[in-house]
Amino acid sequence: MAEFFKKRFFMWKHPWGYKEGFTISAGLVLTGILLQLTTGAVNTDFLQFPVNVFLGGLYIIFIVVLSFISNKNTSIRWLSGMTASITSISAFLLLVLIMGLTRQSGVHDNSGILGVLGFKNMLSSWSFVLVFIYMMSVLALVTLRRLKHFRWKKDIPFLLNHLGLFITLFAAVLGNADMHRYQMVVGSENPEWRATEDSGKIIEMDLAIELNDFTIDEYPPKLMLIDNHSGKTLPEKQPVTLLIEKAPTAGSLLDWDVSISNVLENAAPVVGRDSVHFVEFHSEGAAAAVYVTAANRKSGKQAAGWVSSGSFLFPYHALKLDEKVSIVMPDREPKRFASDVNVFTKDGKNIHSVIEVNKPLKVNGWKIYQISYDERMGKWSNISKFELVKDPWIGWVYAGIILMISGAIGLFVTGKTAYENKGEND
Amino acid sequence: MTWETFIYFAIPSVILWAAGAYFAFRDKRKLALTLTITGILVFAAYIAGIWISLERPPLRTMGETRLWYSFFLPVAGLMTYLRWKYKWILSFSTILAFVFILINIFKPEIHNKTLMPALQSPWFAPHVIIYMFSYAVLGAATVIGLYFLIRKNDKSISESVMHLIDNLVYVGTAFLTIGMLIGAVWAKDAWGHYWSWDPKETWAAATWLGYLIYTHYRNHKPKNLRNALVVLILSFVLLQVCWYGINYLPSAQGVSVHTYSLD
Repeated sequence: MAEFFKKRFFMWKHPWGYKEGFTISAGLVLTGILLQLTTGAVNTDFLQFPVNVFLGGLYIIFIVVLSFISNKNTSIRWLSGMTASITSISAFLLLVLIMGLTRQSGVHDNSGILGVLGFKNMLSSWSFVLVFIYMMSVLALVTLRRLKHFRWKKDIPFLLNHLGLFITLFAAVLGNADMHRYQMVVGSENPEWRATEDSGKIIEMDLAIELNDFTIDEYPPKLMLIDNHSGKTLPEKQPVTLLIEKAPTAGSLLDWDVSISNVLENAAPVVGRDSVHFVEFHSEGAAAAVYVTAANRKSGKQAAGWVSSGSFLFPYHALKLDEKVSIVMPDREPKRFASDVNVFTKDGKNIHSVIEVNKPLKVNGWKIYQISYDERMGKWSNISKFELVKDPWIGWVYAGIILMISGAIGLFVTGKTAYENKGEND
Repeated sequence: MTWETFIYFAIPSVILWAAGAYFAFRDKRKLALTLTITGILVFAAYIAGIWISLERPPLRTMGETRLWYSFFLPVAGLMTYLRWKYKWILSFSTILAFVFILINIFKPEIHNKTLMPALQSPWFAPHVIIYMFSYAVLGAATVIGLYFLIRKNDKSISESVMHLIDNLVYVGTAFLTIGMLIGAVWAKDAWGHYWSWDPKETWAAATWLGYLIYTHYRNHKPKNLRNALVVLILSFVLLQVCWYGINYLPSAQGVSVHTYSLD
């Protein structure tokens, strides 16, 4: 009976269990909240090279020392056990859930109770940072403990998963402040050396981009129906569409049988006395136009005329089918956009390449991404927008990822049997 | 091949799978295997057909991911049947697949040909297919877990059933991990960063953490089945939010790069 009461109501008596584990996590969240209220959000900008290498090294030494004295100290030993793992992951999951349920504002937003606690900007809130470091330290201690009694074959998936995750998290955190991302807008006239930071600050780069040519391939034009009064698509949010790949073609949109007799990829409107028709036009600003004949299967109503998506130069042109419904051509979707560029570097390189989405160009430690263009101009855009990213720690992150993928494959192959613990837990 | 022809492949597949499940119950193993595999092949033929006619992998819309989900459920069921010989597993996978097929027949989403440039990558197909396989396996584990949590008390859950659930979760979590990491590598090439805490990523992390808690807890307290099953089911709820729930979450509206737009 006395034992029962001890177990039930007294804490901090070894062996520690879930109660102590959750209390430690709750303590860290609470400490984080207090720090948030007194000092404001965490700023990790100071973690730039070489400070991150120095502090990272100190942290590793600290963890290794902890791991060695854990043989003698039960509380420290507890940190490398299953209860500490589960409770720290749970606490981290809780904060991730709050983050998932709260709109993250990016800038420091202190409005409302969640803002005051720092949860609207979770990544720089003290609670998140403390719980993350705690979880990562438990992960490190668990890994070191297993390494001390390493058994070949049996422990390999365990090591790949845990060490891989640790390396990934560690490199991601330490490398964060060393990562630079700039935007560069390049016109067709001159090579561009200047890029802008997120804050709007302009920076002169040690490389320049010259835009030789910018191209957009578009998907074929498509038609859909809209409500004449509300302007909303039919059905709302999930419109039926008809893709026009060739002419002549026929199809249906809801109750309307639609046939297309003429497709002009590049056209311009000619305004007549009481109607608008489209003619071929092969200059800047041309828009796609199709000639549509439509008949309603239920009411028998018929309509015919031109439909065009319009461009920055010409307005769009719809065809009114009846009192309620019109047929329109939405802006055409880009299939591929790419920039033909020359990249010059200050150390004398001149690289000719084509940059497109998913195919960044690597130059002197920078990766150049195609991100956008002048959307108002659409396919006639004569500027191209790039993002320049330098991420010197990416190699470590990939190393961790490769270990984790190998570990996951090991987990799949061996299943649960090879992964069972060996009674090392509290 | 269009979405209208789906029913002519889906219904024969379901009939073949149901027949396979029936013969599995009757301990006619060879017949069960042949019928289930034939059903899978018929379904695969439809996926191949729509892939060719769309001129892109059918992985973009919700309807298309459900298509893969209903394909992988019988595959996962068959693998489990071959490996651990549970005769009821094929019935489970058939019923689950049937539900998703029905949704696709009665409420298909827009299946047009366009694929935005960000999705045009060799990483696209493996990323989504691996995730869908993982979701299918974890879905099967959840249904079994739910059944035992509601219908039985701790003592009557047999070791072998728990072992099956654990194995499914291990396989599912392994694929979840690989799918997530492939996504990270792809994100680096497409968006410039491997992890941006975009709402989809945040919920993917939450889902992954949920299954980590399950696997660790099972190792720590192998006798405490009820708690483990609750964690299993909650993790699957997180998975649902990640898969399609974020489309409805106010906190995720208009901020996800996973609905790639050019502005």
